[in-house]
Amino acid sequence: MIHVDYSWDEELEQFRLDLQAFCAEYATDELREEMRAGGGAEGGGPGPLAKKVHDELEKRGWPRIAWPKEYGGGGKSPWFQYVMVQEFSYHGVPYGGLSVGSIAPALMNFGTEEQKAKYLPGILDGQITFAIGYSEPNAGTDLASMQTRAVRDGDEYVVNGQKIWTSGAHVSTHLWLAARTDPEAPKHRGVSMFIVPLNTAGMTVRPLYTMAGVRTNEVFFEDVRIPATSLVGEENRGWYIVANALDFERVSLGPIGALARQWERIVEWLEDNQPEKLKDAQVRARLAELKVDLHVLRALNGVNADIISNGRTPTMEASMVKVWSSELRYRLSSAAMDLMGRAGGLRDASGDLAPNDGQNEQTFRASPILRFGGGTNEVQRSIIAQRGLGLPR
Amino acid sequence: MNITLSETQQLIRDSIRTYLEKEVPFSRIRQVERDGGLDADLWQALASNGWLGLPFPEDVGGQGGELTDAGVLIEELTRRAVLIPIAETLASAITIQRCGAADLAADVLAKVQAGSMTISPAVLEQSDSFDVCEMKVTGGTISGKKFYVDYGAQVSHHLVAASDDIGPGLFLVTNDGAVAHESLSNIGKIPQSVVTYTNAPATRVCGEEGLQFLKRLARVFATVQCLACSQQSLDMTVEYVGMRVQFGRPIGTFQAVQHHCANMAIHTLATRFLTYEALWDLDRGTATDTQIAVAKAEASRTATEVPMLAHQLHGGMGFVTEYDLHFFSLRGKQASLAWGTVEETISAVAATIGEAEQWL
Repeated sequence: MIHVDYSWDEELEQFRLDLQAFCAEYATDELREEMRAGGGAEGGGPGPLAKKVHDELEKRGWPRIAWPKEYGGGGKSPWFQYVMVQEFSYHGVPYGGLSVGSIAPALMNFGTEEQKAKYLPGILDGQITFAIGYSEPNAGTDLASMQTRAVRDGDEYVVNGQKIWTSGAHVSTHLWLAARTDPEAPKHRGVSMFIVPLNTAGMTVRPLYTMAGVRTNEVFFEDVRIPATSLVGEENRGWYIVANALDFERVSLGPIGALARQWERIVEWLEDNQPEKLKDAQVRARLAELKVDLHVLRALNGVNADIISNGRTPTMEASMVKVWSSELRYRLSSAAMDLMGRAGGLRDASGDLAPNDGQNEQTFRASPILRFGGGTNEVQRSIIAQRGLGLPR
Repeated sequence: MNITLSETQQLIRDSIRTYLEKEVPFSRIRQVERDGGLDADLWQALASNGWLGLPFPEDVGGQGGELTDAGVLIEELTRRAVLIPIAETLASAITIQRCGAADLAADVLAKVQAGSMTISPAVLEQSDSFDVCEMKVTGGTISGKKFYVDYGAQVSHHLVAASDDIGPGLFLVTNDGAVAHESLSNIGKIPQSVVTYTNAPATRVCGEEGLQFLKRLARVFATVQCLACSQQSLDMTVEYVGMRVQFGRPIGTFQAVQHHCANMAIHTLATRFLTYEALWDLDRGTATDTQIAVAKAEASRTATEVPMLAHQLHGGMGFVTEYDLHFFSLRGKQASLAWGTVEETISAVAATIGEAEQWL
């Protein structure tokens, strides 16, 4: 009989060892310090150590190890990507990013040959980076109701309107812009996709500071003229790209690594600072329940990766990972602060008194966006119910 | 790595499911429940279909399968709420096969697969602790009480945890005149008894290692039962809310209803992964006690919460006993208590906090 198989083959085990050796060499305290210091409100580009990691990863071809060969990938099973993301997420190694993970494959699938030649090399070596221009003040969860207009005028389009939550727009080179090209058509059929350099005349980027401490933006368009060759895919077929953008990194939607490490650091902090508390049965039970919750996330990730590696596309399962990982991050951060007492609420700026460099209070502040962003958890649960379980709309 | 059931396993699952749908209506389950025993005819049918031999090697007359196959079998049977000692007998027989002497194992496996021998583990004593075992074997016989023995009065044999001169281990005891039963009535309506042994002849099967294996395997089989009750409750609910009309539309169109269903599905799917992974690892000797405790903890809370959400969404219809949902909410809670409650398994996980973690 042939059975289910929960083992990793030798090649995958070896890859994991390679990853761990890489992390041992590059995931240093200095790197983490650089990322923490450089990650302030304005969130600049990668520092020298992060850049070095990026170059080393590129040299090994790991960032695209599971992409199909025809897209310049390594052609390995998605489990390689899965293991890599778990390890990097655990060790705090910067990896991927949405330009490489989502924009590049979408361009490969929908872009013209000229667009591919113009953008892909720069995306892959980190010179070209994208911010996403989808949301608008009146088009959030109901994204398809976006109103920013792109009007064809000879060899150009003229763009007017406003985008919001355009994270990274102040440090990226380009905007991946969805705009309405046919206001008469049904809302899903009048949207087109464009690539717009962020230094184009008529664009204004205004900062919005979040309670997580990181900046996002709104972007205003006033008679912004872009060449017609900026259009990606067919006119009025942009929604199809938004909804079906090829994503070779679906396997890494909500990795367990960073959360697992956060959990470990909570235990370590208690061991070092509150050893009596760590002996308390109630404290241990709370940590144990969170550990079970982490393994629930591992299980959902495993199901997701299995579906992808069998050549199918997860729908319900991807939503489950999104829902569970985002809510778990909130619960874990909040519980950590409870377990640490008053020290738990201290920000990094408090110095040595702040537990784990203020990680738990920081992730607590950042946790709302993971739950409402990227398709709210309410929308995700409806996807699970309708597309996964087949409940009526 | 490939966690989708193989074609062979899907075939096994489908043939068991088809058989049960055709031959075992829920009216029969109700009748067996009323009679307070087990479904002996079904047991014989399992034997003649070769299903009782699924997880045993071919050289002892089995199908050459694995623990995951046993999982498929137990899951399907539990999804039909049948009253037979399948998890008990398989856990006992697999323990005897793996940890006992070859000649004894050959004899036991032949009888089990023929349907003439059923075995239930008798481990717990009055303390209700899996770590306490005071029963002694002296002169080849045992005396004393064991508690919460599932199908204790109905099975032909017990696999009793006790100690003799050699040390702790498991002992095979024939369920005859030297064995008396006080029957218990539990939430899951599973036949269960407090068993009193009076100089009952006891054959040593294996030592401490075998006892630990049995407790692990029985815990994982109870995890499978938790999964089955959750999955069945979820599937029944999805079907029900898709057709139940109120306010002029199926209630399954309401977001509140959909979101309950989504939460049920998240926990059921995660439980499924953890359950079959634990079976797979246990088969190969790579399962840790913490891993099994994690799986049972999640399964136990899932088997409680998912069926109760199913009741919430079924309303009065699910509350009446002529509908079938109560089988799964009550058996689900019973399974969540069996071989490790939420509290016991969380404590087991808590006990290892501070040790090196294995996350993937």
